[in-house]
Amino acid sequence: MSAGVVGKAIARVDGRAKVTGAARYAADAEVRGVAHGVLVMSTVARGRIVALDTRAAQAAPGVVDVYTHLTMPRLTVPAPTTGYFKRFVPMQDENIQHAGQPVAIVVARTLEEAQQAAVLVIVRYESQTPQVVLADGLGDAYVPAPGSDGTNDYVRGDTGAGLAAAGVIVDATYTTPLQHHNPLEPSVTVAAWSGDRLTVHESTQGISNTQNALMQALGVPRENVRVITPFVGGGFGAKGPVWPHTLLTAAVARLAGTPVKLVLTRAHTYTSHGHRAETHQTLRIGAARDGRLTAIEHVVTQPVSRSDELVFNSSEPTRMLYACPHVRSTQRAVRLDLPTASFVRSPEAATSHALESTLDELSHALQLDPVELRLRNWSAVNQETGAPHGSNFLRECYERGAAEFGWARRDPRPGSMRDRDGLIGWGMATAAHTAGGRPGAGAAVTISVEGTALIRSGTQDLGTGTYTVMQQIGAQVLGLPLHAVRFDLGDTNFPPAFASAASATVPGVGSGVVRAATTARGRVVALAVADPRSPLYGVEPARISTADGYLHVTGQPSRRVSYRSVLRRHGQPIEVTSDPAPAALGYSTGAVFVEVHVDPAIGRIRVRRVVGVFDPGRVLNRQTARSQAIGGAIWAIGFTLMEHTLIDPHLGRVVTPNLSGYLVPVNADVPDIEVGFIDRPDPSSPALGARGFGETPMTGVTAAIGNAVHHAIGKRIRDLPITQDKVIAALS
Amino acid sequence: MSEEETPTKVGSTRRTVLKAGATTTLAAGTPLPALLGEAPASAAAAATATSPVEVSLTVNGVARPCTVEPRVTLLDALRERLGLTGTKKGCDRGECGACTVLVDGRRIKSCLTLAVMQQGKEITTVEGLARGDRLHPVQAAFVREDGLQCGFCTPGQIMSAVALIGEGHTRSDDEIREWMSGNLCRCSCYPNIVAAVREAAKEMS
Repeated sequence: MSAGVVGKAIARVDGRAKVTGAARYAADAEVRGVAHGVLVMSTVARGRIVALDTRAAQAAPGVVDVYTHLTMPRLTVPAPTTGYFKRFVPMQDENIQHAGQPVAIVVARTLEEAQQAAVLVIVRYESQTPQVVLADGLGDAYVPAPGSDGTNDYVRGDTGAGLAAAGVIVDATYTTPLQHHNPLEPSVTVAAWSGDRLTVHESTQGISNTQNALMQALGVPRENVRVITPFVGGGFGAKGPVWPHTLLTAAVARLAGTPVKLVLTRAHTYTSHGHRAETHQTLRIGAARDGRLTAIEHVVTQPVSRSDELVFNSSEPTRMLYACPHVRSTQRAVRLDLPTASFVRSPEAATSHALESTLDELSHALQLDPVELRLRNWSAVNQETGAPHGSNFLRECYERGAAEFGWARRDPRPGSMRDRDGLIGWGMATAAHTAGGRPGAGAAVTISVEGTALIRSGTQDLGTGTYTVMQQIGAQVLGLPLHAVRFDLGDTNFPPAFASAASATVPGVGSGVVRAATTARGRVVALAVADPRSPLYGVEPARISTADGYLHVTGQPSRRVSYRSVLRRHGQPIEVTSDPAPAALGYSTGAVFVEVHVDPAIGRIRVRRVVGVFDPGRVLNRQTARSQAIGGAIWAIGFTLMEHTLIDPHLGRVVTPNLSGYLVPVNADVPDIEVGFIDRPDPSSPALGARGFGETPMTGVTAAIGNAVHHAIGKRIRDLPITQDKVIAALS
Repeated sequence: MSEEETPTKVGSTRRTVLKAGATTTLAAGTPLPALLGEAPASAAAAATATSPVEVSLTVNGVARPCTVEPRVTLLDALRERLGLTGTKKGCDRGECGACTVLVDGRRIKSCLTLAVMQQGKEITTVEGLARGDRLHPVQAAFVREDGLQCGFCTPGQIMSAVALIGEGHTRSDDEIREWMSGNLCRCSCYPNIVAAVREAAKEMS
């Protein structure tokens, strides 16, 4: 294998296309004669349509047609295994289950014509008062039946006994708000039929899921549906599942007899592709006087829609992370008249926040340093399964992170650190997230007669760096220079891959590339040692190394032959395809340290410094991995200090469906962020020792910020986001 | 609206745009809740907005004639009429900055101005920065410093950065942060974007 292709800070290979505007996202696809679709959304949250008048819209200039539940074809609700989580397809009947549910689609020649006509569709409803406030429904909370993630009432040991044995018990209630993904690219479907064959340009994190859901919804065979997604303008979970607009656009394109492009408006995205559900969490943690945990009870209550009971704020960290003999983790649901919830970047962030914040409270109760508390409860095994981690350098993360941050200089007394114009707080927490453990991916490797390689897999690149790191993995395994390898993705004609979600791409697609490239390399080696004209003739294949485009005898670099000459003599390309295979579940962890500055006069919190040291196994590309870590930390700033979607408690409508009402961090909110990696391979990883990592670095930072705020002001704000008004109230 | 009536200081603020485009935006109709059950917008207003006009837009140094309704934004004219899809639509209401282009050297949000208002102006989009294969220093710095992930906000970030450097707002990292804050990056590459702008500014000075 070539040394150094993997592990370097290599600039992303799709960078040039992205900085020149050449990268074509779904809405940029050139489709001849494409018409424009615009959704009309329900304005009531619970009820039914009693009258529809589309005459004015249909008569408006440029309108091809207007579609409603009265004119749409019957669509099958795709199975949840396709990633279609919603348990109904809108525009199939008169029922309304949430505000912002599609009730009509206008298709017109131009976008402006479609937008204008959409305003002219008249819908009358019979509505009931919706229930949308979680706090009002806590009395009706129930434990859903086991779902795809197993039981919703996890028990290990006997928490009653563990709490009885505790020297200190801390009780806390934390709440986190409803939040939205807000990728900069709104979801897009461009659907074009040619006879009974459908091509869809889609902004999705899962082309295979999209293909499967379209097949089921429309009743067409797999080979008739092709989904193409070369670039995705951010997803963060919004584009992980399949959502109604995709199915509806494909269906109306068929009826209209013309390709249709439907781009969700920013406002429509707030009810069209899920959200991070609000949580109400109670935690009771018991510990011995020396800090060892004796029991954790964690109850998470979150809303579900009227028609599904998917709970995505998983308590994974509570179950897995810390050594604790007695744990009970319960997920409760409250049915509300809201859209189906889904996963948002680092779905465990909400429960991690509550757990890591309560541990900070415990450290104060014990008068024990929060780093030391975590070191004393470090676990070498996954506490839920008892299985050892492939590797785990979390203790090293704490130690290095504390050293780089200067944690030893912290005065633990709240309110004790200040500067000229305010209060300073230092906080820390553990970052942890599972990675992989999903169905995996296949990959096809073609080595051309010129000795270059093309690798293809039906995966996606959301900006995570899939194009780049898969090219690196391919080059490394084959022993080719990076520029001699190309990686293509985003087409259902390629071998299938799991969705780009759950930090599963590196283990899933990476291992698929490793398998196919290893086999292809073996074929090339076999050709070289079997050819009497080759300098490698007769050498045992195991003694052949490959690097920089050459095969050579291990230890004798001058006895070599190039890929190109082996392939030229062979006279035809070598093609190998690997089948998807699940990768083992990994656990990527880290330690994060944060400094905040609080202006007590106006309650303003500024994050001044973030240091994170992480253990993602082997780091495939230091530059893209660092960018993921920075992104996670900044998401945590948004999560903790600003992001919340407000729902009108009476009407059930989103009242902040835009980027001036829903605040996300901007450049001026963000300090320098220091990122370090342990960078030691995980021997259990089938992807060259690398684990998935994308979701880890957002976890931990949220609680570290909250803990730092507590350290600064001496008050614990347990209701997110920690906005200025709450700081002022806490200080007065 | 005739060309002469177009405000000379073209709107990088929403106020200017709304003022200039008041009659047309009414009929263009941001989709409103249809529940109101009101009569459709008056036919006269609609006719004003929907009668196509011939315009010539000078984009990246090339005169590009096209036929647009007066209600068509510069952003939609670039993307849907001229095939210049490098400029992105993230919010269509001036909040995200993904559609930032230069008009006579000033950065503006192309979703907040109408194509008809930009005749006779020099419009520069992300497609117009590189010289053949040679990237503009800002583009090269974004690649080198990894100032992008998904890349969707990147054209807007780059156009803002080019203007920002011209404006002289790169005297410190804090100043760059402040003046780049009209461009959202949800992948959250901000520290790398600051580094890219700082490095490009050095190179261009």
